[in-house]
Amino acid sequence: MKSNWKYIIVALMLLVLIGIGYFSSRFVLYLAMKIMILSIFAMGYNILFGRTGLLSFGHAAFYATGAYGVALCSMHVHTHPLVGIMVGIAAAAFLALIIGFFCVRHTEIYFAMLTLAFGMMVFSLMWNLRDITGGDDGLSGIMRGSVSLGFLKISITKDSQFYFLVLFFFALSMLLVHRIYQSPFGLVLAGIRENHVRTEFAGLGVKRYRLAAFVVSGAFAGLAGALGLLLESNVTPFAAHWSHSANPVLVSLMGGLQTFSGPIVGSIVFVLLREFIERFTHNWMLWFGVILLAIILGFRGGIVGSTTQLVKRLSKVS
Amino acid sequence: MNNSLLQVRDLSKAFGNVVTAKNLNFSLARGVLTSIIGPNGAGKSTLINILTGFIPPDSGEIIFQGKDITREPIDRRVRLGLCRSFQVANVFGHLSLFENIAIPVLAVERKAKSFLRSVAKDGEVRKEVDKILDRVGLLSQSHVPASALSHGDRRLLEVGIALAARPRLLFLDEPTAGMNPVERTRILQNIRDLSAHGEVTFVIVEHDMDVVFSLSERVIVLYRGHVIGDGTPEQVKGNPQVREVYLGEEVT
Repeated sequence: MKSNWKYIIVALMLLVLIGIGYFSSRFVLYLAMKIMILSIFAMGYNILFGRTGLLSFGHAAFYATGAYGVALCSMHVHTHPLVGIMVGIAAAAFLALIIGFFCVRHTEIYFAMLTLAFGMMVFSLMWNLRDITGGDDGLSGIMRGSVSLGFLKISITKDSQFYFLVLFFFALSMLLVHRIYQSPFGLVLAGIRENHVRTEFAGLGVKRYRLAAFVVSGAFAGLAGALGLLLESNVTPFAAHWSHSANPVLVSLMGGLQTFSGPIVGSIVFVLLREFIERFTHNWMLWFGVILLAIILGFRGGIVGSTTQLVKRLSKVS
Repeated sequence: MNNSLLQVRDLSKAFGNVVTAKNLNFSLARGVLTSIIGPNGAGKSTLINILTGFIPPDSGEIIFQGKDITREPIDRRVRLGLCRSFQVANVFGHLSLFENIAIPVLAVERKAKSFLRSVAKDGEVRKEVDKILDRVGLLSQSHVPASALSHGDRRLLEVGIALAARPRLLFLDEPTAGMNPVERTRILQNIRDLSAHGEVTFVIVEHDMDVVFSLSERVIVLYRGHVIGDGTPEQVKGNPQVREVYLGEEVT
């Protein structure tokens, strides 16, 4: 019963997203793509944060690496977007492997500070390596080449065409993250969050699993960054700024850390709220802060977590 | 010597001026249920912590099944067959009992790295987990989160997790502390059965002398980091030094 409901919700969501792709204005398309890209970022991030219990403040570095990866690849190597995305993911995962190697030796606040420090280093590298990254101007005017699969050549120049590529990667990410959560690897990560000493005494090398979670979440951040670049057609070093690292943290917290769909719901709320508030005021951070406070204090376990609990309680009563 | 499972050679450990192990030498034979006893502060917990890899020794060697494991990390010792349970129930609080047991089972079956298969659909793992839950008497609560268990049940689960790692040598740190008589009987019966089977060699650290003397075939008495008595329960009871520093106070 319960799992049937989940499939129905997922099917409905995909139908709605396909509908948006065919019938919506460019503005709605743009918002939907932003939501999906942020969801990919946050879902991957939550493997590390909600599942493994490690709070990273440096994931913008991997997002930016994905974005720069695509940009540089299409400028110097090949304009095929899939090649670019693969390069972006690989670069982000590789950077995550190096940074993670040092970070996973520590936990809690030390881990968070280490990721912050590494993130700022990546930011200043991107800022200073002007010849490669364009410095503070970043890289702009990146064209979307066509997706050519042998005989088939799909143009993604228009937003309404690119939208379906984003949707494809969003659905793929959902599937992958879901499989990871059901898998032995996902269970071990939850074990590490609950009790890392006991996990070690179950015969599992905790550091290696933490590193694996770090790399996986970094790869998803890279994918999100790659798609983000193709959407905006430019990237600046601020994509790697630590304030950008806060986005997946906030999104996961709002939606619900211990849930699969939390980051997605959080992304919807985050993007829409921002869009809505910015129409009325320039200090959107102030109002967003107030709303965030209300959600975190009022909804224990995030929006998804508290709603599920409410539904459970109501169904018990009736 | 063939029958020796674990050998300890000249093991020493001091925290500042406090000596918790001083040139310890002993070996544990396969299948011999051994108890380690001693007054508070005798170095029992430290000894277990050193043997299982929680604390590094200052000097000395630990040989497990002919292999020097003195510098091996915890998880590798566990995979070699050396596991422990904890004094305070050390379980995965928010995970179900099934998941609690599944984690060491996956580790033993070397499936923990797979990230696309579903745990719940793996029949082999489920069978093994159910077997262990049944053994500790918690099968009916397999979907309950561990944090919802009573204290005694959590101790049973703790022993279950340790057993699920399929150890050859298992250290139990006060396995019956905080259990009610029913749970205590169950856990002691389990230890006896498994020990008689010869699959697992148990080493128990206990305060409860009834448990120690009814269960053990061999008793090692620690006092200030030294072994002051070692032998069958009768020999240890008769040892004058042991009576003086330890048994005289508690057992009459």
